[in-house]
Amino acid sequence: MDKVVVEVKDFNFRYRQTKRKALKNINFTVKEGSFFCIIGSNGSGKSTLCNALVGLIPHYFVGKVSGDVIIDGVSAAESSIAGLSAKIGLVFQNPFNQLSYTAGSVAEELAYGLGNRGMSREEMIKKVEYVAKLMRIEHIIHKNPLELSGGQVQRVAFGSTFIMEPRILVLDECTTQLDPLGSEEIFDIVKELNQKGITVIMVDHDMERVARCADQIMVLDQGEVVAIDTPQNIFGNPEIAAHKIGIPDFATICRVLKEKGYTDKEIEVREEETIELVKEAMAG
Amino acid sequence: MSKKKKMSFGESLKAQFSTKSLVLIPIAVGINLIGGTLCSTLKLPLFLDMIGTIVVACLSGPWVAALCGLLTNVFLALVANPVYLPYSIVSILCGLVTGYMVKAGMFRKVWGVILTCLACTLTNTISASLITIFVYGGATGVTGSSVLTATLIAATKDIVMSVLSSSMLENLIDKGITFVIAYILVKKIPKRFMSQYAVDSDDDEDED
Amino acid sequence: MAKVTNTFVPKDTVIEHLNPMVKIIGVFSLGLGSLIFPNSYLGFAIVIGLFFVAGAAKLLKDFAKIMFGFGIPITVMLLFIQGCYSPKNVTIIADLGFAKVGLEGVLYALKIVSTLLVFLGAFYIMNKTTYTGKLVAALTGTGMPPKAGYLVLASLNVVPQMQRRMSVIQEAQSARGVETGGGMIARLKAYIPLLGPVVMSSLTDAQERGMTLETRGFGVKGVKQTSYVEVANTKLDKILKTILILFFVIVTVVSLLMRMNII
Repeated sequence: MDKVVVEVKDFNFRYRQTKRKALKNINFTVKEGSFFCIIGSNGSGKSTLCNALVGLIPHYFVGKVSGDVIIDGVSAAESSIAGLSAKIGLVFQNPFNQLSYTAGSVAEELAYGLGNRGMSREEMIKKVEYVAKLMRIEHIIHKNPLELSGGQVQRVAFGSTFIMEPRILVLDECTTQLDPLGSEEIFDIVKELNQKGITVIMVDHDMERVARCADQIMVLDQGEVVAIDTPQNIFGNPEIAAHKIGIPDFATICRVLKEKGYTDKEIEVREEETIELVKEAMAG
Repeated sequence: MSKKKKMSFGESLKAQFSTKSLVLIPIAVGINLIGGTLCSTLKLPLFLDMIGTIVVACLSGPWVAALCGLLTNVFLALVANPVYLPYSIVSILCGLVTGYMVKAGMFRKVWGVILTCLACTLTNTISASLITIFVYGGATGVTGSSVLTATLIAATKDIVMSVLSSSMLENLIDKGITFVIAYILVKKIPKRFMSQYAVDSDDDEDED
Repeated sequence: MAKVTNTFVPKDTVIEHLNPMVKIIGVFSLGLGSLIFPNSYLGFAIVIGLFFVAGAAKLLKDFAKIMFGFGIPITVMLLFIQGCYSPKNVTIIADLGFAKVGLEGVLYALKIVSTLLVFLGAFYIMNKTTYTGKLVAALTGTGMPPKAGYLVLASLNVVPQMQRRMSVIQEAQSARGVETGGGMIARLKAYIPLLGPVVMSSLTDAQERGMTLETRGFGVKGVKQTSYVEVANTKLDKILKTILILFFVIVTVVSLLMRMNII
């Protein structure tokens, strides 16, 4: 459980022909099987960092790089994006940009990455079946991916990433463009995979959700790490909140109760604990 | 800066066909085609079916632009009419001419754009006429210009000259407007995006 | 140009189930065969044969529409141009008053028309009876680079999507009062606000799609790409391939002999 699977050391990145560094001196580690969340305002470098984790920086986006990203013992810079895809997978915001545009059916879409690995058709069919079930898309497996809803396409995209068998998943606001129902469906799958031991690194704007799931939260601002800590310490600390991150409503309720003198307990960030705290405060 | 050296033709070709450039091609084919469709919806008597090719020439270089031209014609052949297939040679040549002119820095000044446009018109007219004459014996039956050609032939009794002059006139106007539109579009592309491609610009300004 | 949609509709015919390579070889064998043959007879015979093939593929109505729709105007046009004005004309067969019709020009026109119709017809049948994914899988299997396959398939999928986006923008712009009618200049001015947004958003989309392809192992060297789409190679396929290749060889030999005036 304590094995470090992601290690970022003194990482800096500046996009080609731009003045400002997109990422400055980033240092952090993620342990195997943990749920690691990254939060920060727009333009804080969250997506750039996600791209660096899966090797798109420096292998796809051009710019000036220094420092190291080590994924499961392998340096991202010295490996390739395809090589890393068996260790770490990325799902990002726009579902329709995560299709290969070569497939006439969901099954073909799921199998695309496996085809690029030269896998035999028999093996492919087995894998596709398994992943389709996991992503709850068995019923649409013969449909054209371009005719599906955003939520369905996102599950197809998720499946196409997961079929490459990564042990780490990077989710870059992967539910932002979906309606609440589609968003919850994706998120249920994420939780299920995390319980199965998959390491999750998630960028998200829903602070309630972040507070509920994260083992650790990293706050980014203008390409720099502000803090890495537990949800309670992050959302309970007014100095960190000043970096324009959202605060879960539960933390706000607790803070108000504390400021008005109804309780002197630590600020809670999750639903159940907050209910307990409110109950006690009312009783006291 | 010091690392920058002249790439061999093979190396530069390989650099042009990176995944980043390759994904632009279907998009550019789409731009070419909807450019044409839009003309018919707006009832403009033009083709404007090269805008995507020019944009890609600016982003990814001559050979990617050439491939764009080829695929536009293949696409038209697949979904509309196979008559377009032999004309892919025209699109390829236009892509190459535009691409190499851009590479030579022609798109940085307005007169360069005009020059590129003229070169492209000339390439288009000559190659298209040759194909019309040698593949189709003078008429394709698909454009209004065939009728014009037939009339001109009746008047001048010279197949080669007729085909040439009818498509020259058509082409000059069409390419002129195409290049104006493409130039405006290229200027609108955000720098952050452009810098990831930028075939004709220098590498990096080092300052932190 | 009409709205582009996926042209393939499964009809469960023998022609549809053939290996795509058979159909590709067919297009070239028949097309090139009629091209090198010295007169137009072979071409027209093949065209008649293609009508039967189209019938077997349950395509007869559409096929006839394409063949006549293209064939008649181009025949008329070419007969006029070549018949009256070909420099090869020596034997005059008719006098129209303003021009004389020459036999050589007429024969040349018929030759071009027959060859074009064979290519057009064979290509049309192949296109309408073959799922593009299967075609590309077959081609990749015989050594076509996966990148080329990507380009064909992606273009076929991306273009209709862009057309849909275009019509959405067109509606939105006209709702906002952007003029799409009026004089030539006004209509030309409406062009950029309509096309611009599609171009810009498509470019940024393309960059993200490139990210997706890279993370799915696109273009990895040293791996022979495989496909989920099954491409069968039956006994019938093998026989047809042989016949088509033999046909081309025989036509080549016969044409050579005919041109050398041996037959």
